[in-house]
Amino acid sequence: MGETIVITSGKGGVGKTTATANIGAGLALLGHKVALVDADIGLRNLDVVLGLENRIVYDLVDVAHGHCRLKQALIRDKRFEGLYLLPAAQTKDKTAVNPEQMREICQELKKEFDYVIVDCPAGIEQGFRNAIAGADRAIVVTTPEVAAVRDADRVIGLLEAAGLNEPKLVINRLRPKMVRQGDMMDIEDILDILAVDLLGVVPEDERIIVSTNRGEPIVQERNSLAAEAFRNISRRILGEPVPLLDLESNGNLLVRLRKMLGLG
Amino acid sequence: MGAGQGAMVQIPGVRPERKTILIERTLRSGQSLFYDGNVVILGDVNPGAEVTATGDVIVIGTLRGTVHAGAGGDEGALVVAFRLEPTQLRIANHVSRPPEGMTPSGQPEVARIKDGMVIIEALGFRL
Repeated sequence: MGETIVITSGKGGVGKTTATANIGAGLALLGHKVALVDADIGLRNLDVVLGLENRIVYDLVDVAHGHCRLKQALIRDKRFEGLYLLPAAQTKDKTAVNPEQMREICQELKKEFDYVIVDCPAGIEQGFRNAIAGADRAIVVTTPEVAAVRDADRVIGLLEAAGLNEPKLVINRLRPKMVRQGDMMDIEDILDILAVDLLGVVPEDERIIVSTNRGEPIVQERNSLAAEAFRNISRRILGEPVPLLDLESNGNLLVRLRKMLGLG
Repeated sequence: MGAGQGAMVQIPGVRPERKTILIERTLRSGQSLFYDGNVVILGDVNPGAEVTATGDVIVIGTLRGTVHAGAGGDEGALVVAFRLEPTQLRIANHVSRPPEGMTPSGQPEVARIKDGMVIIEALGFRL
């Protein structure tokens, strides 16, 4: 029996879908069978980010309403052994499914897959309630911005109220240079408010934009810090103790020298 | 009435008729609490959370949200926090917010009304 993990944030645009695609692909690379579920009905994106848009025949709503079997709707990602996508419907809205149907679908998927990862829509309304209905645990994604952290805090409260205790946090799009200059919240500032366990920190990386536009998860790329961060997150989900990335490693000697002199 | 309560009334300044509730968790954004009496929070009050009490509000943690003490009009109500950094602080009918650009003092503080104004002082031994 597998496990269902919902990836949520409250605020839109912080990188839920990118995180879902890369964590899912990361877990598949580590040899696990993974089903990604796009719960953002009406605004589906996960298929685009994964480059699987043109292979959709049936979707989540079809499965919920019994128009097809679950297996018919699942799209296999040929690049990642063991990675599958259950796409959202684009022509319906969030009311097309209810939490009970989502719970049943997740339950069904867990029989076949090691990990079922649900990409939650932004907001805290029905789409959110649907997405968390079948989840065993939650990952909250935020960026180092006051508004994103505020929404993450709200979502953590709602998750706890729904019985999803101790969600794990991913801080996305951190810019070490801006943090160093005091222009961006640092990891400690964020953890001080949210008081949850940190699952990983992903640095801002232009290549993420390229990879999502191309429909290729970045996680397999060798010389990208963001890719390495996502790979580490996948390993931590498996329970491996992986130390946090040194995001300053690009800055090398000069940075360390400036730090020593108190200029950093 | 028990013997213990009878004894408490003997102490000047103690108001046994006012109830106190203990909240053993952090209030997160969007969560709000109203209590007819005093509120003691063992945890933080995060930005976007609201605490309203007719009596005092005491936060054994960081208070970053909105707080209203003496909500029934009690001008003697206090707000005490380990770190007092509220978005907005109200006591009775007075509304105040921290001055622009104020850096947190980093020590326990108390807010109360003095001469018709909300003032904030370091938390001493005498409330």
